[in-house]
Amino acid sequence: MTSPAIVGLGTTPMTTQPGGRARDLAVVAIEAALSDAGLRREEVDGLLVASSQGIRPDRVSVELARQAGLGDLRLLEHLEIKGATTVAMVAHAALAVRAGLARRVLCVFADAPLRPGGSAGASYDNSGGVSGVRGLERASGVLGSVPTYALLASRYLAASGGTEEDLCAVAVSARAWAVGNPDAVSRTPLDCAGYHASRMVAEPLRVLDCARPVNGAAAVVVAGHPTAGVQPPAYVLGLGQSHPRRRRHGPGESWFGGGRVAVETALRSAGIARSGLDIVELYDPFSAVTLCLLDEYGLVPDGGPVGEFVRGGGIAPGGTLPVNTGGGQLAGFYLQGMTPLVEALTQLRGSAGARQVDGASTALVTGLGGRLDHHACLVLGREAGS
Amino acid sequence: MTEHPADWLVSPELAPSFEGTALAPLFEHAERGELAMPFCAECAEPFELDQEVCDRCTGTGAHWRPVPPSGVVHARTLVHRTASPLLRTTAPYPVLDVELDSAHRVVMTTLEPATRDWQIGDRVRVAFRRVGGVPVPAAVPTGDTDPTKEEPA
Repeated sequence: MTSPAIVGLGTTPMTTQPGGRARDLAVVAIEAALSDAGLRREEVDGLLVASSQGIRPDRVSVELARQAGLGDLRLLEHLEIKGATTVAMVAHAALAVRAGLARRVLCVFADAPLRPGGSAGASYDNSGGVSGVRGLERASGVLGSVPTYALLASRYLAASGGTEEDLCAVAVSARAWAVGNPDAVSRTPLDCAGYHASRMVAEPLRVLDCARPVNGAAAVVVAGHPTAGVQPPAYVLGLGQSHPRRRRHGPGESWFGGGRVAVETALRSAGIARSGLDIVELYDPFSAVTLCLLDEYGLVPDGGPVGEFVRGGGIAPGGTLPVNTGGGQLAGFYLQGMTPLVEALTQLRGSAGARQVDGASTALVTGLGGRLDHHACLVLGREAGS
Repeated sequence: MTEHPADWLVSPELAPSFEGTALAPLFEHAERGELAMPFCAECAEPFELDQEVCDRCTGTGAHWRPVPPSGVVHARTLVHRTASPLLRTTAPYPVLDVELDSAHRVVMTTLEPATRDWQIGDRVRVAFRRVGGVPVPAAVPTGDTDPTKEEPA
């Protein structure tokens, strides 16, 4: 049985300017994905929707089916696994077409955190409420996600023996890739001096360690049988998830461990080894997370120290393991999991222009939710699996 | 509406709402000046603040009891971004993940504005700030460092 494939990709411009509604952005991305796939609306019979978990007045929902003028559907769901949603959604679509639930499924994510008169940071600061554990943390000054990830980063560096130079190397590498990506938000070349001169947000995280929020949307079409003569399909070869139980008490670590199962499940189902991955597209909300995930997923060749590998240019253009080849969410755009997926598809189609990785034919795409709590992975390839 | 003394860090609108929630015992004990944490009612395994079922014995229900108000810094940050109108300070402020001597890990800031550079392994005593009148755990330095906690496992 041929693997399901992603046969259409559509995106809006990724803008750091406020304005626009998520719903409208989603409609534009859907239109673009259908056009890219050479499909008419009535040829799609499934829609999966993912929205930002932040509180937004215009979160996209299953109402999008009606709003976007889609016809009678056989599959319609709004998924929610925090930041892992987008990648898991594509896996869900692949399983659905394989099971005969639908023939062609649109998967869409849209978000518009930047509003007139307020930064994306302000949108995140005001989310979370005042009850439960999150309410207790917010009363302690933990607004938005940066302070929490700063705690994770501080712990990760201490536990791994890493330093701020490791974070710097990730930020510089991401920017080097972004220079070649016309859709990236930050395309000015960056060196270590520029990194260290950037504003500190929450130690050890500087502004250049944090993802760049945008207003934007992306949609893909997953089909059981690729449409002939349009874009080269990207086959969904492997799927995996992991939701490790970790506890907020000692002994042991509270935030690390358990994610590797997701990658190993995906690789096993794809029938390829880590060494068979041409590109790796990680969910990188913060530079420290790239380090954590390379470590957690066991992606450093020969199992060497992550910091040393990254400082040596291992994940940068020309490195032995091309990672986040469009600049990731750090320097590209933060579209909560659509970023790694869009980049993988662009690379596998050979349409990545100046940043194209020669011969890229297999990709690992990962989604991440919560505080490294939810991992979802896809292995994509240019050749159909068996 | 009752007027409360202002907290040094956050606006009173961030006062935790706890009545009828899993965390209510934390605040009820705190009103008496006690730091309480949840344990498995069956086998006394430490629970997360909102945990219902025990990992070890599968017993259900949390039993909250007072614990020593002391611990060690497990992770630390100093937040420099203070632009939010929810904050009352313009100076960088600490956020610490404190591992209590009871093993529970709780994120808190400090009782007073930052006066020192916190490090992983620093010993702390836990007291309470008041945010909109609600007691919230907060760290106070003891000046000691726990040598066993400086190098994480």
